[in-house]
Amino acid sequence: TAALTAGLERIPDQVGYLVISEDGVLAQSAGELENDEHTAGVMMQMVRTACRFRLSGSTDAPFKRMSILEDFVYVVTISGQKVFVVKRQNNQHEPVNV
Amino acid sequence: MGKPEETDPLIPHPNPVSKPPNGTEWPTPGVPSPPTDGQALLTSILTKTAQNIIDVSAADSVVMEQHEIMDKARQYSTKLAMLSTSLPQKKALTLPSLTSQPHQVLASDLVPYSDVQQVSKIAAYAYSAISQIKVDAKEELVVQFAIP
Repeated sequence: TAALTAGLERIPDQVGYLVISEDGVLAQSAGELENDEHTAGVMMQMVRTACRFRLSGSTDAPFKRMSILEDFVYVVTISGQKVFVVKRQNNQHEPVNV
Repeated sequence: MGKPEETDPLIPHPNPVSKPPNGTEWPTPGVPSPPTDGQALLTSILTKTAQNIIDVSAADSVVMEQHEIMDKARQYSTKLAMLSTSLPQKKALTLPSLTSQPHQVLASDLVPYSDVQQVSKIAAYAYSAISQIKVDAKEELVVQFAIP
């Protein structure tokens, strides 16, 4: 698990992360998401719902990463029966016309 | 014997003062046919209710010896093991694995703003289109048939 979290720590402009196990239990958390079980619960529901979508003609889940965009961006993926959530700063904004 | 139901006792009662199937009444010897006058009717209802209700607080506590308890426990486990193989298994809530490289996927560039704009616009169009779906009534649903 140390390798798991070390990689997450190094993600550019991350301000917090969650590692959630399949049954919804919060395994790791840090930064702004430390002990944030509420967010973990919401993320689990969203990602489970998204996993049920299918593009026509495909049997696999149609996405690799789910992004939730606000002032910050939550990026979510699933690997090895664990859900990873990283809160990153949103560097994608409306271009300013000078 | 029919398909076992959830409410069937696992172990048949050793001394059955058995209830008849389908909830019909055994003819009780000594009780005449339902009385017609009000007071007697009330009494008969009360009697029947009292017979059908188990007052747990009033029952004497059953004294069971240790070996009897163990025997019963073993009987229940065996019976349960037999039944659990025939019951349908709960569907596994396994999550699919989306990637074997979670760090790479999570660290990749964020979705470009222009893409987000485009998707938002498409979603808005779709929402607008769906909200304009309405029923166009052409004819009466119910018609009279004329029999010549």
